[in-house]
Amino acid sequence: MTEFTMRTGTGKPLYMTKEQIRSDLEDGTNWATTKAKIPELSGNEIDHILGILTRPGRQIGVEQGKGIVLTTDGGTSRYTGICRYSAMPVSREQAVIIGERFIGFDTFEIGHADYSFRPVKTIAMDEATVIENTELNSVIPVFYGAMPNLGIYFQSQGGKWPSPTDFMNEGKIDEARAVQESAAEDMTNDIVYVAKIFAKTGLDGLDIDTTAAAGDADFYGTLKAIETIKKETDLALEVGMAGEKVFGLHADLKYEGERLAGMWPHQQGLMVEKAGGDIFGAVINTDTGKSCPWNLARSITFVKEVMKTVTIPVHPNMGMGVGGIPMCEVIPMDVVTRSGVAMVELTNCDGV
Amino acid sequence: MSSEQLFEGIKNAIVDLDREECLKLAQEALDAGINPLEVIENGLKKGIQIVGTKYDDGELFIVDLMMAASAMKAAVELLELHISAELKQQARAGKIIIGTVEGDVHDIGKTIVSTLLAANGFEVIDLGTEVPSSRFVEKVKELKPDIVGMSALLTTTMPQMQEVIEALEKEDLRDSVKVMVGGAPVTQEFAEKIGADGYAKDAEKAVKWAKALTS
Repeated sequence: MTEFTMRTGTGKPLYMTKEQIRSDLEDGTNWATTKAKIPELSGNEIDHILGILTRPGRQIGVEQGKGIVLTTDGGTSRYTGICRYSAMPVSREQAVIIGERFIGFDTFEIGHADYSFRPVKTIAMDEATVIENTELNSVIPVFYGAMPNLGIYFQSQGGKWPSPTDFMNEGKIDEARAVQESAAEDMTNDIVYVAKIFAKTGLDGLDIDTTAAAGDADFYGTLKAIETIKKETDLALEVGMAGEKVFGLHADLKYEGERLAGMWPHQQGLMVEKAGGDIFGAVINTDTGKSCPWNLARSITFVKEVMKTVTIPVHPNMGMGVGGIPMCEVIPMDVVTRSGVAMVELTNCDGV
Repeated sequence: MSSEQLFEGIKNAIVDLDREECLKLAQEALDAGINPLEVIENGLKKGIQIVGTKYDDGELFIVDLMMAASAMKAAVELLELHISAELKQQARAGKIIIGTVEGDVHDIGKTIVSTLLAANGFEVIDLGTEVPSSRFVEKVKELKPDIVGMSALLTTTMPQMQEVIEALEKEDLRDSVKVMVGGAPVTQEFAEKIGADGYAKDAEKAVKWAKALTS
């Protein structure tokens, strides 16, 4: 029986028959349907993905004229250092130009190695210089990316506020909630402060990346920051999430009357749109214990629902450990191109 | 209000995480002369089971679980004042000592399991984190529990679970208790390998497993 080379969630080769791949695709979409109560992929859609995954060739692409916007997050760190296998001795300004002129990205992002708004706040003026130089040398829209990262506002990670989990261990729920609200307010102020400085440099947009990594208070603080930034600057705002579900560490925060804890991607996107975000970066994490076909079907099921629910452009994250891509440093070309094509053809997303 | 309406109201108060409403209805049930054990069985336990399922489904979170458990605990304390010692013993689901093994400081998973077990009528003695095998042994001798529960979040601390089991064997205590293990890296295969009686993937399954063992 013919076997096709798929990947595990950690990137190892996995040899599967068509029937095995189909079974994993069906299980993956079923997971999303059962958990998030959203429609599952139809039989035709499963067949479509199966066709893409078993297409010959080490790498594949979409048809001519059906390309979509390609952008990045994580700053320029993939070029300048974070990945030891592919880092190049170039500056961040040069990395953007490489992305634009050699690789063909439609937008590119600068970011600091610390990649959170709180540390960026203290070096914002230095970062502004890098942004200005980059904008002067590039044509494509340039984003500055950083994480809200509420976690680093707590003492356990060097921040000012007591850790909410310490209060929870003592059964002090009110205190745990109050401290998250205070920290989120600080976080909002930091994001807005940085945004206002960068807006003066001619920066095209801000990528608020890995939103809600520390749960619903992280998401709430980010939404409040989006509101203010849209009112007070002309920056475009891309808002990327941390995962397919907002964790409820506070569990009683509401935005526009909706409880943020437990929100799935389509609900998250709606909140981002209501706050004033311009692009929504849906994130569906890769389950490393499952195959890539399983993860891809789950991701596509969620992104389809996002596309139905929000009206702003949607750029699902398709990289290391998200969007059906394995969790490994250097992503195999076979799986990333197949997953990308499937995501574009099945969801009609605006970019990745 | 009929007893059925009161049970339903108490169940809903737990699901709504409403401590005040739960206490108010529990008092009404007592005033109406309803057997407190029936209130626990038909109101509180049914409510906490729904909360446990919602938590398992990702609909509710640890904070919600804690609030529901707090409401249940307060109501049980009120009701217990009206239950004889003999009936209390009958109502108790079982006694469990639980802790995160030596070298491991992770608390939350173990606390979730403790909370849900207590909410389901178990007498839970939480030994905290970084519990050495000698302390598990000492507590088994002293408290004579039905179950010993161990948690580990790290692959490097998982072997401590086996040490506890071996320490219990050495002291001839192993046959007097059932041993349940859990935690992110722990698997059924590992549980079997070290000679544990059971493995639970999450808090709700831990409760089901503990109930099955003590029923």
